[in-house]
Amino acid sequence: MVERLDEGWIARGVRRAPFDRFLLWAAPWAALLALGAYAIFLCLRDGLFHTNMDNRYVFGLWIFLDLAVIALGAGAFFTGFLLYVLRKTELRAVINSAVVIGLVCYSGAVLILAVDVGQPLRAWFTFYHPNVHSMLTEVTFCITCYLTVLLIEYVPIFLKNRRLALKPSMLVFEYNLHKVMVVFALVGTLLSFFHQGSLGGLFGVLRGRPFAFREGLLIWPSTFFLFVLSAMAVGPSFVALTTWMAEKVTRRRLVKDEVYQTLGRISGKLLLAYVFFKCLDTLLWINQTAPERGFPAHRFYEYGGAFGTWILFTEIALLGLVPALLLLKPEWRARRGLLIAGAAMACLGVTLNRFVFTIQTLALPTLPFDRLLLYWPSWQEFAAFGFVLAYGMLVYSFSYRYLKLFPQERELAMTEAKR
Amino acid sequence: MFPWVYGFEWHPGYLIFLGVFFTVAVVVAGTVLAALWRSFSAVRRKQEGRIYWHTVFEDLAPEERRCRHAITGELPERCCDREFDCRGCRMHARLLYSDEAGARAASSEQAEVCGISLPLDRYYHRGHTWVREGEDGALLVGLDDLGRRLAGGDGIVELPAPGTELRVNEPAFRLRRNGVEARILSPVDGTVEGPACDGEALIRVRPAAGFRTVHLLRGGEAAAWMRHELDRLQVALAASCGAATLADGGVAAPDLGRSLAPREFDTMCGLVFLDV
Repeated sequence: MVERLDEGWIARGVRRAPFDRFLLWAAPWAALLALGAYAIFLCLRDGLFHTNMDNRYVFGLWIFLDLAVIALGAGAFFTGFLLYVLRKTELRAVINSAVVIGLVCYSGAVLILAVDVGQPLRAWFTFYHPNVHSMLTEVTFCITCYLTVLLIEYVPIFLKNRRLALKPSMLVFEYNLHKVMVVFALVGTLLSFFHQGSLGGLFGVLRGRPFAFREGLLIWPSTFFLFVLSAMAVGPSFVALTTWMAEKVTRRRLVKDEVYQTLGRISGKLLLAYVFFKCLDTLLWINQTAPERGFPAHRFYEYGGAFGTWILFTEIALLGLVPALLLLKPEWRARRGLLIAGAAMACLGVTLNRFVFTIQTLALPTLPFDRLLLYWPSWQEFAAFGFVLAYGMLVYSFSYRYLKLFPQERELAMTEAKR
Repeated sequence: MFPWVYGFEWHPGYLIFLGVFFTVAVVVAGTVLAALWRSFSAVRRKQEGRIYWHTVFEDLAPEERRCRHAITGELPERCCDREFDCRGCRMHARLLYSDEAGARAASSEQAEVCGISLPLDRYYHRGHTWVREGEDGALLVGLDDLGRRLAGGDGIVELPAPGTELRVNEPAFRLRRNGVEARILSPVDGTVEGPACDGEALIRVRPAAGFRTVHLLRGGEAAAWMRHELDRLQVALAASCGAATLADGGVAAPDLGRSLAPREFDTMCGLVFLDV
């Protein structure tokens, strides 16, 4: 009975795992979600003393997670921009998946921010008392607006569900929303550009933190532009990576090879540009910005261990230049293993960059009597992190099962069957 | 200007920041409202059927969108980009046997493709319905043999009420069987007069003024199409259900609803009636 009901919601002509196997897949994620919900409840009820953050270490695992998922979720806006504005029509095959990923990333980030700020019922204060000189205000406004846009972009995908599409009015609304999607793509691009930038600018303007402080253009430090560029570079990579993972988990081909090639090529070009500007920025910082603030750059890496020079090398060369080359060279990109390795390394590189700016910046001493601060998240922080991960996996899994995330799936299945 | 923003000052920072923010908010809200209004207007003007077919056609795989002239081998690999409505297609007009020629090609012969009967005295629509002109000028519309095998004896085909306006490629009937529901497309423009009485057709339709049959298949073209359809169904069924069909060259079972598992039957209905 339940199986028949379940099948009634699955799109025609595609194969999905039996319902019991799907439940088996979802169960561990649901358990992690429940654990995370309990940790979030504790933090909201009792306050942030459940975490290992303090007045000195104000940004911890959660802000790192926020920055990382927002960068990775940039695939949603950038794929939309490439498809609807630059007319890269082959990306139609992944746009729905990219929107779901973006929605998961941004809603997860907003949720964690609500827990981190600790007073979700007063969230509206930020709109009523905006400090227009604060990068954080810009981030808050843009993320809220963009999450709304992502929700609107998700609506047509949702309305195309087989059962819902039986209602003609639903299909008509889906059709009309789809027709104006270019407007949302443009608005999303504008919003993403500014909040990705402002998240970077947030660190670049920290005059009291010479490790993060950067010179820039007018009111924008260089990190503003580097965060935008890195998010644009890694967005297509993350879309390619998640699509490949979905193919592996479901054991089905979901998109044509040309889609991977396009995503890889675009990501590679942007990543190379990012690495170039990041190198310039780092050289400028080593030779000018940091010394002018009274800190020779090598002092930041004297502590060794987790924060040695290896981290700089890993971020720029190993997880920046190497994946850029892997994704750029057509012969390497043509091999699926290398392409996915390149995409995964690019994602890791940008994640490491966000880790450096969030965690390393706060760990390093800024006064002569300060010492290196070490921070390890509490179980509640890990559990809340797990909540976002589980939430993302569940939303994506349900969306894949019941919605048409990959329009080429039917066609590819037919091609395989012909062989 | 922004009375609801606490502490607002006439300062460039406030004006730029809040101006951009509220512009974005207005654009987003305005666009959603515009989409809602267009949807409301479309429903009021009864355009749901057209929009339904447009959406479905977009989702069809290239193999399913093959041009009728690709099926007959005249233009191999050509895909239809006109939603199976050949009436405005220039390429079709160039290749077309005119309506009269098509009518002459139609005869009372009976073709058979893998056990599927295909009387050649009628016009076929790609959604597996047919049209035949009745003696009184009305059009008789019915399901072809493959469609009938899906409906079987216990399937319910919901007919449009008399007076309903039908338009080509818009849903006209609904088939319900084994818990599966499929929409069946109309092959004609016209007004439903009522159920047909000849046992083969489903309804009688008074054709709309100027109605032409150029978009419908006939004669040898219909036979080629049916062969292509059976190939397509075999491949698509194997792809979506993993079922091996006609592997040893048999004929289709007389009642597919009984022969196929529920999931296969559902897939088959979607494929045959182009309701994916």
